[in-house]
Amino acid sequence: MSEIDYKDPGYYTNRELSWVLFDKRVLSEAKDKQNPLFERLKFLSITASNLDEFFMVRVASLKDMVNAGYEKPDIAGMTPRQQLSALNEATHELVKEQYAVYNRTLLPLLLQNGLRVIGKHEKLTEKEAEYVDQYYEENVYPVLTPMAVDSSRPFPLIRNKSLNIGALVKKKGGDGELEFATVQVPSVLPRIVQIPSEDEGETAVILLEEVIERNIEKLFLNYDIVCSYPFRIMRNADFSLEEDEAEDLLKEIEKQLKMRQWGQAIRLEVEEGIDKRLIGIIKKELSIGDEDIYRIDGPLDLTFLMKMYGLPGFDHLKEKGYASPQPVPELPEGCDIFEQIRKGDVLLHHPYETFTPVVDFIRQAARDKDVLAIKQTLYRVSGNSPIIAALAQAAENGKQVSVLVELKARFDEENNIVWAKMLEKAGCHVIYGLVGLKTHSKITLVVRREEDGIRRYVHLGTGNYNDATAKLYTDIGLLTCSESIGEDATAVFNMLSGYSEPLGWNKLSLAPLWLKDRFLYLIDREKKNAAAGREGHIIAKVNSLCDKDIIQALYEAGAAGVKIELIVRGICCLKTGLPGIGKNITVRSIVGNFLEHCRIFYFANDGKPEYYCASADWMPRNLERRVEIMFPVEKPALREKLIHILSMQMKDTVKAHVLLPNGRYQKVDKRGKEIINAQQEFCKEAVRAAKQKDEVVSNRVFIPETHHE
Amino acid sequence: MAVKTFAAIDVGSFEISMKIFQVSRKGMKEIDHIRHEIDMGTETYTTGKLSYERVEELCRVLCEFSEIMKTYQVCDYKAYGTSAIREAENTAILLNQIEVRTGIHIDVLSNSEQRFLDYKSIAFQGEGFLKIIENGTAIVDIGGGSIQISLFDKDTLVSTQNMRLGVLRLQERLNHLNASLSQYDNLIEELVDSQLQVYKKLYLREREIKNIIVVDDYISVMLRKKSDNHEMTGYAGKELFDHFEKAYHTKSVSQLAQSWDMPEENMPMAHISVMMLKRIMETMGAELIWAPGVTLCDGIAYEYAEKNKMITASHDFEQDIIACAKNISKRYRGSRKRSETLEQIALTIFDSTKKIHGLGKRERLLLQLSTILHDCGKYISMTNLGECSYSIIMSTEVIGLSHREREIVANVVKYNHLEFDYYEEMGLHSSLDKNAYLVVAKLTAILRLANGLDRSHKQKFKNVRTSLKDNELVITVDTNEDITLEKGLFDGRAAFFQEVFNVRPVIRQKRVIGG
Repeated sequence: MSEIDYKDPGYYTNRELSWVLFDKRVLSEAKDKQNPLFERLKFLSITASNLDEFFMVRVASLKDMVNAGYEKPDIAGMTPRQQLSALNEATHELVKEQYAVYNRTLLPLLLQNGLRVIGKHEKLTEKEAEYVDQYYEENVYPVLTPMAVDSSRPFPLIRNKSLNIGALVKKKGGDGELEFATVQVPSVLPRIVQIPSEDEGETAVILLEEVIERNIEKLFLNYDIVCSYPFRIMRNADFSLEEDEAEDLLKEIEKQLKMRQWGQAIRLEVEEGIDKRLIGIIKKELSIGDEDIYRIDGPLDLTFLMKMYGLPGFDHLKEKGYASPQPVPELPEGCDIFEQIRKGDVLLHHPYETFTPVVDFIRQAARDKDVLAIKQTLYRVSGNSPIIAALAQAAENGKQVSVLVELKARFDEENNIVWAKMLEKAGCHVIYGLVGLKTHSKITLVVRREEDGIRRYVHLGTGNYNDATAKLYTDIGLLTCSESIGEDATAVFNMLSGYSEPLGWNKLSLAPLWLKDRFLYLIDREKKNAAAGREGHIIAKVNSLCDKDIIQALYEAGAAGVKIELIVRGICCLKTGLPGIGKNITVRSIVGNFLEHCRIFYFANDGKPEYYCASADWMPRNLERRVEIMFPVEKPALREKLIHILSMQMKDTVKAHVLLPNGRYQKVDKRGKEIINAQQEFCKEAVRAAKQKDEVVSNRVFIPETHHE
Repeated sequence: MAVKTFAAIDVGSFEISMKIFQVSRKGMKEIDHIRHEIDMGTETYTTGKLSYERVEELCRVLCEFSEIMKTYQVCDYKAYGTSAIREAENTAILLNQIEVRTGIHIDVLSNSEQRFLDYKSIAFQGEGFLKIIENGTAIVDIGGGSIQISLFDKDTLVSTQNMRLGVLRLQERLNHLNASLSQYDNLIEELVDSQLQVYKKLYLREREIKNIIVVDDYISVMLRKKSDNHEMTGYAGKELFDHFEKAYHTKSVSQLAQSWDMPEENMPMAHISVMMLKRIMETMGAELIWAPGVTLCDGIAYEYAEKNKMITASHDFEQDIIACAKNISKRYRGSRKRSETLEQIALTIFDSTKKIHGLGKRERLLLQLSTILHDCGKYISMTNLGECSYSIIMSTEVIGLSHREREIVANVVKYNHLEFDYYEEMGLHSSLDKNAYLVVAKLTAILRLANGLDRSHKQKFKNVRTSLKDNELVITVDTNEDITLEKGLFDGRAAFFQEVFNVRPVIRQKRVIGG
């Protein structure tokens, strides 16, 4: 049995290809007839913005590797060049699918439901055209900057991710030589232009680039327009290297710095049927290969669909099956949070339960006269964050406030610097991250001086301290005043402040020093139990699974007979149905209304089960290059809650996809099963729980005395 | 309920650490432990001074500590410096500089004081400690500069010895020799064994040692982390060494660091500690190791809590000190009988003259020690008894006695035989302050008086009673023997007593009827 070498790259899936599959699962939500029409627009829009980010980060990085001559194979044994070429095929296919959904399914449905999207300006009615032209004159024309290219004017800089219209023009009365001209579709104007409709009850819209195209000759008055088409490019620029990449790669690239082509275009999107001469010019100027050109059957950059979702008058086509975040029964509004935590640990399940208690936890701490110190790690916060305000207030109230602000959070750097400076001004002690590590852990410590001594209150979470995303992401939070966790939390902040590691940990496991070993130990323990004929069972819910050591350990445990149930939302480099493992390892992915984000782990441990939650995924970057925290959940009632979450997700028949041995994902076969949409169930339960609590309070019936002595 | 927060700061030779404790009658609870690695030892051991950068770093960290203390609203703190500070040539300047810059006052611990604090924190572990010392036990306290081996006889600590075999010092020596890792084992063995053999011959002798309590920074960490079985956390047998050696020969340093869960740079020192403990264990024939995982900070806190009467120890530390003194006296062939008589008389005088000397329990102990050690110098020279006794006492460590206390005892014993030097004359020759000097004078007066009463060394005075009447100290002795010698010499002895207390001692002989 153990002859199988699970190190073989053949047993692993490339992470980028697995990511494409994830985006396809999101796309399948756009295809899903069960979803309200406007939600489907949103899902399609998400696949597009996801793909943009994927190109900027992952594809750009692979291009860097190829340019640097880096040949090290990935987990699946593919060199960067091989990965790029496989990806090319996959992303082209993905884009084709996106537009198939848009053109063949969504557009007709929108029309049926009274929203007419005018794809081509040629299709405007006379009256509509009149309106559009006027709109152009008044709103668009003033902000356009047309640029023509000739021998005296070089090819202009086309900005990354911007939408442009390229045109071939001929000088009026000239020698007939074709010139290239371009104009950027201004991002300051709304992409969707609403047109007064002739039909009552119908909304008509057209996209801004069509409005410009229609009027393009007005921009180049001395020229005849031969043809004009929209195009969009993505560049490999301004992005520092991803932490995902190995250190040796960084060195390699440093050495070959000259090799890195800054600003190199890595993707060109053009409308299908674009004039050959036009694309020839663009191709040459951007020096981009055919494989990186995407010919699009429809409007470029589908992220405008998110704006379409916001059009007024279509509320009946939006999702209403999910209740808004509910009050937490243990932490009713206006309660003394410290007192409630002293009564017992509280486990929060967002967004079904509201994030408000977490904000209140910090707010109350800021005002509480007995609170000595507040310490917190912040990765991404919302603009205008109430948490930041509370921290600043705490510092002004004389509390010792230490905040670790992670400046390296992707795409959030500038945002973070602004409020970090603000906190500093308020008197907080701000640590701007750690050298060489991203601090991804989510932990808050409140030190309070009480009658019988110092008591520490700790919040640990799987999601960011961001009240906005807490309405959309599913996450777990734990509020506790357990002494052993309090001690560990203090030690965490001592380490983050640059002091030596503690002599030991009570409950918490930290990356990058201990967490991976801890996981490997826990998996191995199940393997040993199974090998000895005892029950071995692991349930793990993560966002991504691509750490080779972890996967190998899982394979070996599975081969030893451990039942391993994985719930992996995104990338999964693990394969199912491998020889020697068979059905012992299953993978499912839930892509639903909320973004699945919590990481929960269950280990059977021979009858003494252990439950953990963590800020980390099973990815090398989480386990090796970030500060992450895993915490156990030990109170029986809270474990019940976790077990329920896991089992509902395992039973989901609506939003779950199952990973097949052939590497594809398929929706769960519903036959003979109860229809369960886990996210929706959680919503209902949260509503019920909140109501029950209310009833308990309002059901105060007076009891009349019946005897009188 | 009164809950106080207390900060204990240890300015060690390669680490500054601070522990915050919550102290109440219910006991002590550690709330925070902050450590910052800083190698001060290497600099002072080699150059005698701390560099500018080190002092800067030290001050920066102490300032941060001071901020942390504010956060916890610490009511009181105690900061101690150990060998790196002690062995600096400019300790006084350095400490003043630190105090001015950071507001933190650091006291310097002598070696024996430091070891005593470590010992105290072990003894405060209660159960585990009481149980282990039922069998022959040694405390091996491994520091950066030196190691200290203390032996228990039954349940009292009877001897302690310091050896300059600290891990930092050894590592430096090994570096100096340019030793490769594979040579480490042999070299450590050679360096350690030469001293251990002497120790064994002179101090260990036939004593049977079964257990070793280890206090250090590496082995303790490993032992306290590795165990899954909570009850056995901190305990290990000899298999620890096989385990370690095997790992050492099969794994790379970074793998080792990982498997022992320790920073890689600590591995050489961990290696030295393990090798040294192995040699000590083999020399003693011990079988069990216990690492209670205490640090100097714990000891500092226990000292504080004890001083403030917030906790009491189940172990009697005074008995250790007395046992140690008796052990020294035995080594130098002191007369036990005479010591006992002297002790009895001196303490009787001490107890009945409380009103005029105003000294406390601790000084009584010092007097007792002086009587036990009063003649130890005789072993070397019968003529230079005073000087020799002084030297012996000054160079023998007694765990639990501060350097100052040891100096008091040595002086009392010395002036029992020699002409008393007045403070104004002692001048620069002594490091004693005025208060200590006064204690020396008072205890000397009492010891001299007691000594005078037993001049013939025949223990003629079986029963001595004393009472203070007006300006006279009446000493009533029950004896039928001829005490002419005592009476004749008494006046000389009494003169010094009278000078110190302005009370005149007089002897009354009470013949025992029918005796």
